Amino acid sequence: MQNKLESDRQLQERAGYFPVSGAHLYTVLHEVINPLGRVLLVGPFASERHNSYLPWVHWARALAEKDIEVLRYDYRGIGESTGVFEQMTFEDWSQDLQLLSNWFQSRSPQVPLLLHGLGLGAVLAGRAFDQGLGDGLLLWSPPPNANQALRATLMRWVGLEQIFKFGDDRKSASDYIRELEQGSPLEVDGYLWSPKLWQESFHFTLPAALVSEEIAAKTYKRPVRIVKLTRDTAPLTKGGIVGFDDLKDFSWLFNPNREWIAEVASQSSKRIAYA
Amino acid sequence: MLEAIGKRELFVLDGLGIRLQGTYHPAAELYSKMPEHREGADRLGVLFLNSLSLPRAASGDSAVQWADSIAELGYPAFRIDLPGLGDSAGKASTDLLDLVNAGCFASVASAAVRQLVDRFGLAGMVIFGHCAGSVSALYASAECPECKGLILLDTYFHLPQASRPRVRQELSDWARRSRVGRFLSNSYDRARNLRLILRGKALPANTNIQLLDCWKQVASAGLPILLLQAPGIKAQGSKPRVGQFDYVEHILKLSGRKSRVSVEFVESADHSFANREGRAAVQSHIAAWLVSHFLLKDFNLSAEGAPSQRVRENQSASRKSQNAPTDKCCAMESR
Repeated sequence: MQNKLESDRQLQERAGYFPVSGAHLYTVLHEVINPLGRVLLVGPFASERHNSYLPWVHWARALAEKDIEVLRYDYRGIGESTGVFEQMTFEDWSQDLQLLSNWFQSRSPQVPLLLHGLGLGAVLAGRAFDQGLGDGLLLWSPPPNANQALRATLMRWVGLEQIFKFGDDRKSASDYIRELEQGSPLEVDGYLWSPKLWQESFHFTLPAALVSEEIAAKTYKRPVRIVKLTRDTAPLTKGGIVGFDDLKDFSWLFNPNREWIAEVASQSSKRIAYA
Repeated sequence: MLEAIGKRELFVLDGLGIRLQGTYHPAAELYSKMPEHREGADRLGVLFLNSLSLPRAASGDSAVQWADSIAELGYPAFRIDLPGLGDSAGKASTDLLDLVNAGCFASVASAAVRQLVDRFGLAGMVIFGHCAGSVSALYASAECPECKGLILLDTYFHLPQASRPRVRQELSDWARRSRVGRFLSNSYDRARNLRLILRGKALPANTNIQLLDCWKQVASAGLPILLLQAPGIKAQGSKPRVGQFDYVEHILKLSGRKSRVSVEFVESADHSFANREGRAAVQSHIAAWLVSHFLLKDFNLSAEGAPSQRVRENQSASRKSQNAPTDKCCAMESR
């Protein structure tokens, strides 16, 4: 019986491609029959996607197990999505999020939709929420702007690069940043960062009201939860050892966040039904 | 949501006891439209396995690029997530590396090969693996008659520690930063080298004997194998770090006269092979090797700009000696 249930649940994960301007986004829908709520997961950036993939998938499954339908996806130009990474802008990624959330919401508009972002995904989700999208918002380690997210990615990559370098051959993160600021593109873990992307990242900021839960609650009148992740949460955040930390048990992180989502979904459902 | 777009299709493998998610890169139309290729008479596919816990796109989406380029050459390519990894069902064990090194993914990988060969009407499959993925690929090839070749990137033949003590990690980092540390590190290497010389040809204590046996079985049987090596930590060009056992030299001796093993040193890559230069070099090596071992019917070798021509030029320029494997994620300096 347990195996049958497990098998049914597994069959409800559906990978697909979602068409956007000039490309297709790779998506995985963790489908739930009669969902309590929906969560659109806006994940980490570029190489961080690979490092944190397993816990991110486990998180999606943990939500689906409690009747929360989940949609996760790869940014345009990254992972299984098509598109040319070096041609992408933060605005492109914002538009993709908007399109996906519209599609996700349209599956059954009476079911509340929450946005959940991590790292750069938190900035994207926060901005979408600020524009009125979603009935609730969960942010894990939101940086004040996209540049901070890029820096975290850069730092992790520099750490790995330095393993192979000795003495004077070792470049620091500030050396690489200087190159970017002087107009040279930089290849970080296989992704070519353009100076334009770097410059724009300073101006792609988290909405000011999302500086704290209290201010967000007053501003938006919709539930917002902001969680600062510690090093224990590697590889969801910087730190730890790639290839090992992603197999850790994250239930201590997932459970309270899942409870919060379930509660928000439940309250929002009542509000939507009443309206 | 679409399941197929242009040059990519999503597929699910079931019937293996667990649902596996994959991406299919159909062969370029130029070749796949030819009747003999539609029937799959002489057509082989290339299957990519995960590198340890990385999803099937691999670092820097390098596997996506390689699969696209292989499909362009006329060979269909497949990338799957093994159980518990990427988007496939199951939960990976915390001793994932030990399981990989013991060959625990071999049976599921070989079953996946069989399913894909049946489903797509192929004549066989070349299995591609990087780092831990290459260990699984090697084990799978030994129990899979449908496997017609192997592409292995930075394969390691020792049993690495899952993680090194923090003190040792910090010591290594200090050694890389400072001159004194470098001096001490070099002294340590020389001491290890002396021990290596005194031990003669004896294998290191942490050698993965089971994997070496597997190598001997498939290589001596004449299975075409392409072994690509990136420069290792403190490696001397294509040679291993001073004091480290030269596994590549050892496995070439083990391979026997019938073997068809090609070893290439990819100087421009690091262990991840994710950087653009390294990725492009790997792509060229793979294309040259595929064309030389599994030439498609009607493949126009003399056509201007034909992949085979380009890659052969590249191959002759870059063919060098072998070096020792290194492993940034899982086997770093733990030999």
